[in-house]
Amino acid sequence: MIKQIYSYSLSLAISLMLFASCVSHPDVPSSHRECQELPAIFPDYCDVTVPCNIAPLNFMLPANEYSKCVARITTPDGVQQTYGKGVKVQIPISEWRDMLNVSKGKSLKVEVWGEKDGEWLSFAPFDIRISNDSIDEYISYRLIEPTYVAWAYMEIAQRNLSSFEESQIFNNEITSNDKTIGQCINCHSYQNYKTDNMLFHVRLSNSGTVIVNDGKISRVNLKRDYTISSGVYPSWHPTAKLIAFSTNLTRQAFHTQNLNKIEVYDLESDLILYDVVTDSVSVVSNDPDLLEVYPTWSADGNYLYYCKSVPLPEELRGEGNDIRTTYQKVQYNLYRKSFDVTTHNFGEEELVYDAASQDKSVTVPRVSPDGRFIMFAQGQYGCFHTRHSDSDVYCMPLEEGEATAESLTLFNSEGYADTYPSWSSNGKWIMCSSRRYDGTYSRLYISHFTDGKVTKPFLLPQEDPEENTFRLKCYNRPEFMIEPVTISVEEFSRVFPD
Amino acid sequence: MNSKISKYLHYLSLLIFVAFAVLLLYINREVLYTAHDRSEFLFGATFFKIIMLKPFGLIQYVGAWLTQLFYSPAIGACALGLIWTCIFYVGAKAFRLKGNASALMILPIACLLTAVVDLGYWIYVFTIRGYFFSQSVGYLMMVTLLWAARCTPRKWHLLWYLFAVCSYPVLGWFALLFIVCLALTEKPSWSELVGLLLLFTTTIIWRRLLYSNIKFEEISLAGFPIFEIPSSRSDFLSVPFWVLGALSILFVLFSRFLTKWYVSILCSLIGIAFTLSLSFYDKNYIDEMRMVRCAEKENWKEVLNIAIGNPKPTISMVMLKNVALMNEGGLLDISFKMGNDTYPISNPDSIPVSFLEIASPVVYYNYGLVNESFRLAFECAVQSGFSPCYLKMLLSCATANGETELVNRYEAHLKNQLFYSDWQPNPMNKNIKELHNSYPDELTGVENSDSYLVNSLSLWYDADSKLASEQALFYSMMRCDSRRFWASLRNYIKFHTNEVFPLHAMEAYIMYFDKAPEEKKMKLPVSQDVYDHYNKFWTTLETLIKSGMDRNKIPEQMRSEFGDTYWYYNVFRRKIYK
Repeated sequence: MIKQIYSYSLSLAISLMLFASCVSHPDVPSSHRECQELPAIFPDYCDVTVPCNIAPLNFMLPANEYSKCVARITTPDGVQQTYGKGVKVQIPISEWRDMLNVSKGKSLKVEVWGEKDGEWLSFAPFDIRISNDSIDEYISYRLIEPTYVAWAYMEIAQRNLSSFEESQIFNNEITSNDKTIGQCINCHSYQNYKTDNMLFHVRLSNSGTVIVNDGKISRVNLKRDYTISSGVYPSWHPTAKLIAFSTNLTRQAFHTQNLNKIEVYDLESDLILYDVVTDSVSVVSNDPDLLEVYPTWSADGNYLYYCKSVPLPEELRGEGNDIRTTYQKVQYNLYRKSFDVTTHNFGEEELVYDAASQDKSVTVPRVSPDGRFIMFAQGQYGCFHTRHSDSDVYCMPLEEGEATAESLTLFNSEGYADTYPSWSSNGKWIMCSSRRYDGTYSRLYISHFTDGKVTKPFLLPQEDPEENTFRLKCYNRPEFMIEPVTISVEEFSRVFPD
Repeated sequence: MNSKISKYLHYLSLLIFVAFAVLLLYINREVLYTAHDRSEFLFGATFFKIIMLKPFGLIQYVGAWLTQLFYSPAIGACALGLIWTCIFYVGAKAFRLKGNASALMILPIACLLTAVVDLGYWIYVFTIRGYFFSQSVGYLMMVTLLWAARCTPRKWHLLWYLFAVCSYPVLGWFALLFIVCLALTEKPSWSELVGLLLLFTTTIIWRRLLYSNIKFEEISLAGFPIFEIPSSRSDFLSVPFWVLGALSILFVLFSRFLTKWYVSILCSLIGIAFTLSLSFYDKNYIDEMRMVRCAEKENWKEVLNIAIGNPKPTISMVMLKNVALMNEGGLLDISFKMGNDTYPISNPDSIPVSFLEIASPVVYYNYGLVNESFRLAFECAVQSGFSPCYLKMLLSCATANGETELVNRYEAHLKNQLFYSDWQPNPMNKNIKELHNSYPDELTGVENSDSYLVNSLSLWYDADSKLASEQALFYSMMRCDSRRFWASLRNYIKFHTNEVFPLHAMEAYIMYFDKAPEEKKMKLPVSQDVYDHYNKFWTTLETLIKSGMDRNKIPEQMRSEFGDTYWYYNVFRRKIYK
């Protein structure tokens, strides 16, 4: 309780510092020059569609070009309010909520004025459409530097999308007991968007997979004699206490010239199924010559989708062909296997999407909650598209018939990695991790999704829009949740030996 | 003793110590600059929130901000001096040190001074934010509180103890020191007992209330400097702070007995002796810092001046010298004359500091290896903080790669720093551009050493660039690799037709032609003098070996006559690049 009070006080203090001088309702400039273009606001919220329960879309004009910014927001019922202090527009949550409440299914009109070299410019107004569809209240992600080899402090955090509240689920220091090797935490995953069944991995020092089973925490070792590694990329079965994992032998290397900079690849990878109740591990797929990775369940739990590499061309196989020379030829297709939840038996493998025949590679598939669509990242090669600037998010209908995957062009960026797509629990919102801001630090972008059509994505709103610049961390593995994780860091830490 | 003389002695003692402190800080001015350059202070709520996650965070934040002042060592030193002056006066009142006894406050200041100048190579890797100021600020707050508490009636002490408990998130270990000091000022009573009880429970209380996300050992004695990195720990560097705490307790207990006339002079001498015995000074340590600073400004002449004045350089210095010669000219004529032997850094704690932490990003950058430079700067920044040094390097690399938005991000961080609002990276010079464009894209592992750089540059012997051909030739000679030498010499000749055969290249050519010739010999004209000198080198060597001279003494014996030749390096080199 006191911790919460402290945390709120700290946030309040910071907010007060930021807002004391920031929250103001300035006058619209009396004289200004008309400008036909849309304002170059950051983040770009011009003509976006947002959920009816999203946090304020605070934005700013570039500080190196403008000295002041004023925005006037008009609700559909004609009420107007102005905001702006310096170059930033920061809207109090309560006022923003009032605006959303009267604008559901309609649009807010935003007019922006910017002062440049002593002259006020009036930009073309834009709309913010307020969807009737709400978004899950929480998301979680790992905050980590766009790391190479070294890492330091990292955390898995959760964020309330209706406010700016962010709290820690776990960090890599509290249970680290060997500073020489350090600790890494990753791959948080939830069953059906709920947090009473969830997991995350702790690697290296004091390692293990932390599994929450109906609220009860345990730490398990998923490595078996017959598996390559312990569990890596997880997916909870939607109804049973079963988790599909890939097991991977992963390596990374660095480009001396290519701006992708980092190459991550698997030397080996298989799929396993972990039974939470019996603590047993069974092999799902372990082709000795091919690489299986990124398992994900269909919404009804009757299929397990996954990516699997295609055989390398004959001339690139065998000794003397180091992965560093063949990595650009490693491509993955999308497959699935049927699953019988009563017997835990898998059916035959079916090819769902042949990316390799188009000289492409597919990764991180996710099936929509209504089971009608599957999204995935697609790039030219490899299994780690988060570092590939050509990677985009694709969507493919799963209904009967000849299905083709379409790039979600509006959702994707041009020339930057867009990857790790995920669905909100109602299937109306999609989110991805994208490096489109600067090619290095990934940020979260959200779009409205209807029958395969998406709207212009918006960047996860921050209380201070400059937070996107000043936070030197990546948003890794974003997941929607319909409720927060209520287990504290300290409670999680109790399952580890001192 | 006459009270007037006693007074003069007192002031003289203070003056001696002040003079000593000023001199020591002046000698360490390059260390102070590096302190700011390698200390993380980031603008914005994100950094503030992170630093506030742990007790003592606020003072560390203040300390981190103040450390920026070392951009100008004189300004930073004045700020530190001001804080120490306040400590001297407030501390004397807090501990009730009157007359000569006030000189006792020299000792805590000596501890704080020592803590600034004893770091050695830890300065490159330690991660204590705001270290250079936070302990001084914390101690000043502690003595101020103690002074205030001792001005109030004794019955209020319990409230002061409670206040200290409440202030633990801000004051950290100084709150506990305050409780001890205040409890010892009076004869024990129940309120002192409560105070001591609180002393042992404060940490537990606060961990339960506020810091449950953090390990207990990181909460206890919060803010007390522990020098620990994944592979090393130094208890030695914590000594000044243990002494600082112990002195504060001793002052409370015994200060009334320390009023003799000689106390002042004794304190001054003890303070000086203590600081001198613990401080770190090494010419290479300072020269490395100077060379890196000059290299960042592309002041290659000064880099060479420093190199000339240093007979036993470290790896970082040799690499920087060779970058300077690439830019100023004469690499293949004078590099071995200036010396390419390297000597280990003076590193009593054996901490893993190497070329990587000291100079690798700037060296890699100047060799056109922009991605590698970015990675190395990034690896270092992730571990020891996004300090100006790394932000500047990351910004330079992003600019060189044309990553505009990334440039904007790092620029936004630098612009909000006290002394970098107008800082711009040097435009990518023609040498960096030429090398950058001539190297192919390759996938490399996690290598980051000097030998990796030497290996890479020597490996690209078929690069289509005049400058790259020179580098490949030079580094094949550094590696003493005859195969790469012949391959790179061919490429070098292709780009340097009708140019003078540089001395060291000629020396290497004569040697490899003699000792490791290719099947298809490449014949080039050489100077008769150099050839004769080469023959003399081997004759002398054989004579000395035959004479039975200790083989370890032969290099020294031959140094005066042959120490400036490639043959000497090849045969007697201290560092073997594989």
